[in-house]
Amino acid sequence: MEQIGIVRDIPSLEPDVVFSIAGFPIASSTLMILLITLIVALLSGLMIRRFAVKPGKFQTAIELLYEQVVGLVDQITQSRKHSERIFPIIGAMLVYLTIANLIGVIPGLTEITYEGSPIFRSPTADFNTTFGLAFAAVLVLQFVSIKDYGVLGHLGKFIKLKEVYQGFKKGISSGLVSLIDFFVGLLDIIGEIAKIVSLALRLFGNMYAGNVLMVIIFGAISVVLPAVWLGMNIFVGVLQAMVFSALVAAYYMLAVKPEAEEE
Amino acid sequence: MEEMMTAPEAQVEAARLIAKGLATVSMFGSGIGEGILIGKALEAMGRNPEVSGTIFTRMIIGVALAESTAIYALVAFFLL
Repeated sequence: MEQIGIVRDIPSLEPDVVFSIAGFPIASSTLMILLITLIVALLSGLMIRRFAVKPGKFQTAIELLYEQVVGLVDQITQSRKHSERIFPIIGAMLVYLTIANLIGVIPGLTEITYEGSPIFRSPTADFNTTFGLAFAAVLVLQFVSIKDYGVLGHLGKFIKLKEVYQGFKKGISSGLVSLIDFFVGLLDIIGEIAKIVSLALRLFGNMYAGNVLMVIIFGAISVVLPAVWLGMNIFVGVLQAMVFSALVAAYYMLAVKPEAEEE
Repeated sequence: MEEMMTAPEAQVEAARLIAKGLATVSMFGSGIGEGILIGKALEAMGRNPEVSGTIFTRMIIGVALAESTAIYALVAFFLL
């Protein structure tokens, strides 16, 4: 049976360093991130300059996208005030991640090499990108929580000494229950780290496994099957971007003080 | 052609490959979990056909979340 596959190397886990500036290695994903940010900023600047009351086709599409994203954020926060507060960051994360996940689909982009290493790899197929984004998101959530509760109140969510004291004042059995609460509060610190790791690993795993499987399928049968897998990759890219942003919004709702019944 | 490995090196390599295979067994639980999730979603859609659009959207997000444990196992497979 003749060979109908195209064999390539499996992309490695490590990022490809393109060059170094003063000892600081610049990988291909850094270049891609800068390119995406530049494109989105230019596009937004162009859009704002051309705002019209009677919208043209492009503006209608952007407004449709805006309505969908606001609907998604509203479903998670259930309150208008919080929606307006976090919509800029959640919307920006969603747009950036959708473009970053889908840019690997453009054909021929990985062939542009500089001294033998490809420049344009998909940026989220690199663990450094996703880890940085997840870490920054959780750090922002910590600051929001400190702003609502105060520094001592925020630390008091994890180290629950006050509850133990009050529990023992009420009686021995409720004191022992509050001791269990104390240990659960200490475990919450590990929960915060787990949030970072799970967010980063989910996005990285989906994108990287998509890349590797694409290379393997091309190696086996390169006639019709890669198109099916490419469709699945596009779907997974959009879905994972949505899941990342929705999860950050849900963690935000956990970190803020629950408001009183009035709106 | 590559040279033959010495006996202890071959044992380490064999253990590594067995560990790689064992790491992918854990994806079996994720498959069952997603099956239960989609089954419940379809049942809810049958009971209340007018909100089936919303239920379908939530189901897709739920499947992506339940998939994440299988993705951790896949990353462990690539790391080994």
